[in-house]
Amino acid sequence: MDLFLQTIINGVLIGGILISLTIGFQLTFGVLHVIDFAVGGWVMLGGYAAYWLVELAGIDPFISIFLVFALFALIGGAIGPLIYHVRTSRYARPDLMALAFTFGLFLLMRGGALWLWSYNSRNVESVFSGEFLTLGPVTIPLLRLSAFLMAIVICLGVFVLLYRTRFGMAVRAVAQNRDHAGLMGVNVKRVSAYVYGLYTGITASAGVLIATIYSVNPSVGIRYTLFAFFVAVLAGLGSVGGVLIAGLALGLMESIVSTYIGTRYSLLVVFGVLFLVLLVAPKGVLGRGI
Amino acid sequence: MASNPDKVRDYLFRLAAVVVGLIALAFVPAFIDPYSLRIVTGALMWAGLACAWNIVGGYAGYISFGHSAFFGIGAYTTAILMQSGIGMPFLATLVPSVIVAMIVAVIIGGPTMRLRGAYFAIATWAFSEMLIQLATVLDVTGGTGGLSVPAYLNEFFFYYTMLAAAAASFLGVWYLIEYTRFGFRLKALRDHEPAAEAMGIRTNLVKVQAFALSAAITALFGSVFAYWTTFIDPQSVLGPDITDQMVVMVLLGGLGTIWGPALGAVVLWTTNRYIWSTFGDTVVYLPILGLIIAMVVLFLPNGLISLFVGRRRGRELISRILRKF
Repeated sequence: MDLFLQTIINGVLIGGILISLTIGFQLTFGVLHVIDFAVGGWVMLGGYAAYWLVELAGIDPFISIFLVFALFALIGGAIGPLIYHVRTSRYARPDLMALAFTFGLFLLMRGGALWLWSYNSRNVESVFSGEFLTLGPVTIPLLRLSAFLMAIVICLGVFVLLYRTRFGMAVRAVAQNRDHAGLMGVNVKRVSAYVYGLYTGITASAGVLIATIYSVNPSVGIRYTLFAFFVAVLAGLGSVGGVLIAGLALGLMESIVSTYIGTRYSLLVVFGVLFLVLLVAPKGVLGRGI
Repeated sequence: MASNPDKVRDYLFRLAAVVVGLIALAFVPAFIDPYSLRIVTGALMWAGLACAWNIVGGYAGYISFGHSAFFGIGAYTTAILMQSGIGMPFLATLVPSVIVAMIVAVIIGGPTMRLRGAYFAIATWAFSEMLIQLATVLDVTGGTGGLSVPAYLNEFFFYYTMLAAAAASFLGVWYLIEYTRFGFRLKALRDHEPAAEAMGIRTNLVKVQAFALSAAITALFGSVFAYWTTFIDPQSVLGPDITDQMVVMVLLGGLGTIWGPALGAVVLWTTNRYIWSTFGDTVVYLPILGLIIAMVVLFLPNGLISLFVGRRRGRELISRILRKF
């Protein structure tokens, strides 16, 4: 029973991180109608940024996360217009060309990281590393708890931005109907660029948290792209609210499989379930996807 | 197909060009050293793989990010069937390898090709990643240790096998796409799916047929590759690099053209081997691939081949593509 409780708590903590990882991805899909293959790449680069900030400047990841957010928001804001350009171009299949473009970005990031930093895993040290919080029968690593809280703060921030600001209203309008939003005076191109910047910032911040909990190496990108896809498909592509449930579900599932079946099967089970969900409920379990 | 004399002449001209090209390729081994021969053999393989990917990506308009799965299925089927316990001869393993790949393609493609292209891309990608995981935990595939295949060290055999496979793929696909009802249906659904459906084309069936054909060709090359390299492991035949290369070759050469993939494959494979021989490894090749995709999408969406077709035909092609949307 204690083991079970511990497993559930671990799953919830991971789920929080996965939610922060996917929320920007969904936003991008809703606004730009682009599946971003590079999502894992932003996670990886965020992790490396945190690593270098600790190594070179000695800044704790829980502080540098804000710097990373700002840095990657700028980078994303610069790339966003390119994706918007491809997506709204008069190419034969703009959706697939945009998909191919982000695939290229991802390859560039993965290959660049391999080339510059080789296969080695790097650990990101934080003040919380190695500290534990004991609550009755369960032990919670302080690091995971604080990362979870940070992820929740990020998600709350996104929801406040979306539902309590003028900018959020514009974002939701564009997600609903790009042409009509444009007619109502929303600068669709600018909103798209901002959303992409917001997404890269959030995802890189999630990458900081992930790198601090585990470690970072060039191959984490593929893993987290898959996790983001899984959460997004389970939630229904484009549904931001569904991410909250789907993220927790994946976190719990991974935790339970790792504890009771074996870590090496966890990815296998995740892929298997992703596949079944695509077959059975392609619009997401809540049926709110596009 | 061809009652029009102009068309007949065009057809005969193309046929003559193909025959001359094949004869020229058949004499290549007589003029180059074994090392270069291996590179040319590799180029033929990649051209064939790019051609296979192009059926789904270029003609059906569904981007598959999981074609390494079919390459691996072909390679592993051949390797498993050639193990000493079973000991099938190489050529006999090609049949089961192609059949398994087609069955898997129908299982994967059947449900997901009804959805939007993005879901298909995710599903194929997730499937290929799952297959790597599966190959590393199963016993029959030898886990991470991989499998050895009885060695057959005859470079000429592999050159001519690859040549035959590549020529069969290209000519088969060319014939199917340009001169059969299947090709017309496929192009119709790519151009305007709802309209094609309204004309009575069973679009889901055609898409799955195209995917199965593509998977079969990919598996065929996987089988030959396994016998050629004599040793396979999950990373070498199921790794994402294989899909990455196929996608980039087709995009670079020209999506949805017959000869574009061959051009892209030759250009990229030569680059790959050049980097390999200069730097000793191909790590720097990955970011270059990524950069090429991004640049091609931004500046050359119709690929290298669009630089060669005549201006009038190029304009025709572009306006034909634009009219669909």
